[in-house]
Amino acid sequence: MSPRRRLLVIDDDPDFVEGITPILTGADYEVDVAYNPKDGLQALQAKSYDLLLLDIMMGRGAEGVMIARKMRKDPRLRDMPVLIITGIREQIAFLFPGGPLHPHFMAVDELVEKPVEPQLLLERVSALLQAAEARKSPAT
Amino acid sequence: MAQDRPKILIIDDEDVVLDSCVQILEGSSCQVATANDGALGLQLLQELRPDLVFIDLMMPGISGVEVLEQTRELDPSVVTIVITGYATVGSAVEAMKRGAYDFIPKPFTPDEFRLITQRGLERRRLVLETMTLRREKELLKDHFAAIVSHELKAPLGAVQQNLFALTQDLSGALTDGQRKRLERMQSSIESLLVLIHTWLRAYSADIEGLRDRFKPTCVRKVVAKAIESVQPHASRKDIEIVASVKEPLGSIQGDEGTLAEALTNILSNAVKFTRVGGKVLVRADEEDNAISISVTDTGLGIAEEEMPYIFEGLHVGKSVPAAERGSGLGLAITRRIIDAHQGSITVESQLGRGSTFVIHLPTLEAGPCSRHEPDADVVAESHQGGNE
Repeated sequence: MSPRRRLLVIDDDPDFVEGITPILTGADYEVDVAYNPKDGLQALQAKSYDLLLLDIMMGRGAEGVMIARKMRKDPRLRDMPVLIITGIREQIAFLFPGGPLHPHFMAVDELVEKPVEPQLLLERVSALLQAAEARKSPAT
Repeated sequence: MAQDRPKILIIDDEDVVLDSCVQILEGSSCQVATANDGALGLQLLQELRPDLVFIDLMMPGISGVEVLEQTRELDPSVVTIVITGYATVGSAVEAMKRGAYDFIPKPFTPDEFRLITQRGLERRRLVLETMTLRREKELLKDHFAAIVSHELKAPLGAVQQNLFALTQDLSGALTDGQRKRLERMQSSIESLLVLIHTWLRAYSADIEGLRDRFKPTCVRKVVAKAIESVQPHASRKDIEIVASVKEPLGSIQGDEGTLAEALTNILSNAVKFTRVGGKVLVRADEEDNAISISVTDTGLGIAEEEMPYIFEGLHVGKSVPAAERGSGLGLAITRRIIDAHQGSITVESQLGRGSTFVIHLPTLEAGPCSRHEPDADVVAESHQGGNE
């Protein structure tokens, strides 16, 4: 078994975070949390993570989108898998009128709506980790 | 009014009239300005931004009618009252046609002038209030989706998330009763989230923006999708959904997901109002370049007096059993979706016998969508009762 995977959660709603971290740690992931975009970016720079769980609507608007944008410009972070967690799909429709409901901010990303059932959350996390792995070492 | 003291401007070429008006209004809380010709009047209008303007119709230079028109152009919310030197009804009516609120014939008594001033200011207050309310309404409508999503859905979502986590954390330690209670809490919150979602759909501008995403859409898929989403509810009530879809069936220009939502609303009403063990018929037909999708139930039916209101938002039928009451928005959303598709929706109903809702949509000329399209086949299997 590979070493424990390390996940970062960036979400400004501590109540929501408390509702997902036990699910993730229960599945043997190591979880760090940043409660605002600034701390989140710092954590991403300081440590290396296998996956990011990113809230879209933070602070004064869609600051999650801003994080995704910065990550795309950073060669070290560009390929990190991201699970986008959003309050509702309408937020996406609201931010990107006429656009698809899953805007694909990153190379490897997936979108789930809050609240997310434990089983679905764990499925998505492990599928994204696998997809990222597959990208790193091209299948033979 | 913007300030506490309403501002009144009086434009008249006769100084006697101006003086007496000022005198009459003395001691009132109003701020009064005067102009003895149209040009000065218009200048003061710009500078003072009055709430109420009196305009003499007969003036040398710029005519009263022109001053009136320019005032309306500058700010239509300013209340204008014309002073008619000769008490001809004709000129007053003409002025009112051009936007004057009222007229006062010369000569007038102080009481008459005070009264009409009071009425004019009252009118101004109402106009401003209406404007504010309208602005607030627009603003609220524009931002409703954002406000509701964050302020209501976020905390509810967090509660639900914690219930999920708790249920999992405590999975070994819970008694059956405790677990059931947690499940009930989860399902209540789920219903609340669905309700908020429905509200959002009804108010967000999303439906208007729908047309940009229109593409040729297979009606069979729409029908299959809608049936699939109400199937669990129907199964619980032992209701059979019998679908008959004409073969071949054309395509329409639209959005599959939203159309399915529209049909789902009608279908789920049909299931809701049909007695346990009953049947709901779904029929998709094509004739004269129009596709019709009808949903017939053998349910409670709709009382004739309620018919005009069923497509209005927030209408909940009187005969609806309490347990089946919804948000009253389903049909309103459905009609908006169908309208956006250039279609129409009709209903026939008999109280106690059941209802038939028919959606009519214009067919796309491109011809029927293939029966053998891969996912069309997959969804066709989920039909209950099969095709004719």
